Amino acid sequence: MDTDQSKNKVSLKEVGLSADVLMGLYTCLLKTRQLDEKLRRLFRQGRFAGTYFSAVGQEATTVGSAYGLRDDDIIGPSHREIGAMVAKGVPLSVIVAQVYARSSSPDKGKSHPCHYGYRPKGIINPSSTVAGQTVVATGCAMAFKIQKKDNIALAYFGEGATARGGWHEALNFAGIHKLPIVYICENNLWAESVPASLEAGIEHFADRSKAYGFQGITIDGNDLVVVHKAASEAIAKARSGGGPTLIECLTYRWYGHSEIDPANYRRSEELEEWKKKDPILGTEKLLTKLGLLATGKREALVEQVNQEIEEAVKTAEATKYAEPEEAYNDVYSDKFPVRRDELGMGGKQ
Amino acid sequence: MKTTTFIEAITEAMAEEMARDERVFLIGEDIGLYGGVFKATKGLIERFGAERVIDSPISEAYIVGGCVGAALVGMRPIPEIQFADFITPAMDQIIQQAAKIRYRSGGAWTCPMTIRVCCGGEVGGGLYHSQLNEQWFFSQPGLIVLFPSTPYDAKGLLKSAVRGDDPVIFFEHKRLYRSLKEDLPDEDFTVPIGKAAIRKIGKDITIVAYGLMCHKALEAINVLEKDGISVELIDMRTLLPWDRETIFESIKKTSKVILIQENSKTGGVMAEIAASISEEMFDYLDAPVTRVCGLDIPMLPFAPPMEHFFLPNAEKITRAAKKVMEY
Ligand SMILES: Cc1ncc(C[n+]2csc(CCOP(=O)(O)OP(=O)(O)O)c2C)c(N)n1
Ligand SMILES: [Mg+2]
Repeated sequence: MDTDQSKNKVSLKEVGLSADVLMGLYTCLLKTRQLDEKLRRLFRQGRFAGTYFSAVGQEATTVGSAYGLRDDDIIGPSHREIGAMVAKGVPLSVIVAQVYARSSSPDKGKSHPCHYGYRPKGIINPSSTVAGQTVVATGCAMAFKIQKKDNIALAYFGEGATARGGWHEALNFAGIHKLPIVYICENNLWAESVPASLEAGIEHFADRSKAYGFQGITIDGNDLVVVHKAASEAIAKARSGGGPTLIECLTYRWYGHSEIDPANYRRSEELEEWKKKDPILGTEKLLTKLGLLATGKREALVEQVNQEIEEAVKTAEATKYAEPEEAYNDVYSDKFPVRRDELGMGGKQ
Repeated sequence: MKTTTFIEAITEAMAEEMARDERVFLIGEDIGLYGGVFKATKGLIERFGAERVIDSPISEAYIVGGCVGAALVGMRPIPEIQFADFITPAMDQIIQQAAKIRYRSGGAWTCPMTIRVCCGGEVGGGLYHSQLNEQWFFSQPGLIVLFPSTPYDAKGLLKSAVRGDDPVIFFEHKRLYRSLKEDLPDEDFTVPIGKAAIRKIGKDITIVAYGLMCHKALEAINVLEKDGISVELIDMRTLLPWDRETIFESIKKTSKVILIQENSKTGGVMAEIAASISEEMFDYLDAPVTRVCGLDIPMLPFAPPMEHFFLPNAEKITRAAKKVMEY
């Protein structure tokens, strides 16, 4: 027997996940990466307006934690959770329509390219206020407790968001009432241009949970299996009345804060180090060892994913913006139509 | 019929809505066993339990933001902000979440929530327990802003707010809590949102006011009537969206208008009403649109002479009316 090969072998039992789950996770991971890179290119080509927040490098954190959630579980996202959208089953056509601000977008073009939300999958359309949806998602968990339901909420935020007052108010309340919520901190070491060392006086953001009376853990956010297992455990705990968990996922964004940021504040060595920990490569290595990624399988999958993405982009580009008058809708319920005053002059025009 | 104070009307509205609809719950500081600092929630925790009458930590951002989340998943929360002065920590959640979640989700997510806010001066509350701050919310599309001035309206509007599908800021003037009594019907009733009330019919001047200022106007009207000046008093009740029709119709009749506002003048609610009147009612006016407002200084200095100095009162309103009558 070839000793080298046996050393490389890993069993599914050791990994602790089924082949189906592993391949499902990997497919979402790959889809997210391909979609994210594609959207970056499209933005650079000027094909859609505004800006684009890439999450390339952070896919394992968002995919691993959202994968397996129920449709009626709630996600309170921030701005870098494209992977969570894919993993929770938001159609790619919906994600691309959002980025393109077309009439087919869930928000009909009213919000912002990367503010993904989709009610059929329990995803709250986010505001831009950092940590905003951490507070709101905690309120969803409060409601689930009052309603005696077993739904849970998942809140996503960057490490920078943990400096905000509302964030602390929310976690404090969740701790008091043992709410069914899991907090996912995507620690990518930077809040726009500000390094983690200037964001907090502690090294590990998970430690913040101690002040609120529940568990916080710091994990490798680029290891898809580690993230999925830690999140699943926390979700099961929340669902069964065990209260909240704060999971700090150590990860890194490969590109600027948004596409208009050259990220000159970071050392290139730092980026190179993290690229070696590419979640895609890591996952593929594991799948190969498990014998789940036979020669050609990856290429076939990439081909299939790219086709799906092309399709979504084509559809979005062929779809019109909503008429400007659409701007008058969805301010209030139908009971309170907005007064129309296009010229801003009042009176009869 | 039952004689009911303003604050009892509010307690009853909440109790009745909670009994009628299990999605309704309360959260706020000291609202549980203590019954609220003004006792608006007295007896409710005993009746509905601690899961529906939640004593919150001092966390205004969570009180409001948490209720937004609860509203998204099917609840009808009534959060309480103990004093309007302390609504500032909740601003982000009111303006960026509650007011915009319907808009930014293309109508997919909605936020039926009624934020009760205790507010107002003339109670010796000083700089940090007398503020109104209604003008901040008046300029935010997506919010409904209510400001009742009678026990009947307090009860009926609060019920409409809880039953509606939009986020509401419900201002309760603390000076009115125990100074007003009214016979209220025993059966269920509501007051429509978006409709002003004509409190007094008159023909010479229209006075527009809301909250405590309606009562200051009534005092002034008693004096003016003795001088033969007939005043029509409009109580706005709903500040946003405000009832243009009722105000404009009255001005068509009187051709003169005085707008009364307890808060500081600049950038207040009445600035918008005045601007709209001049844009749309110019042809009907016989006198300048006149405002009687609080002073343009921080609301509200504590020492009694300064507090009095700040606030509009019957005398100031009477003087304004006499001046307007000169045209
Ligand atoms: C309250 C608030 N302040 C400032 C901003 C502008 N802003 C958007 S993202 C961001 C940095 C967020 O850092 P972090 O939470 O670590 O998330 P990351 O971008 O790294 O994913 C800033 C400052 C904002 N959106 N909200
Ligand atoms: Mg960050």
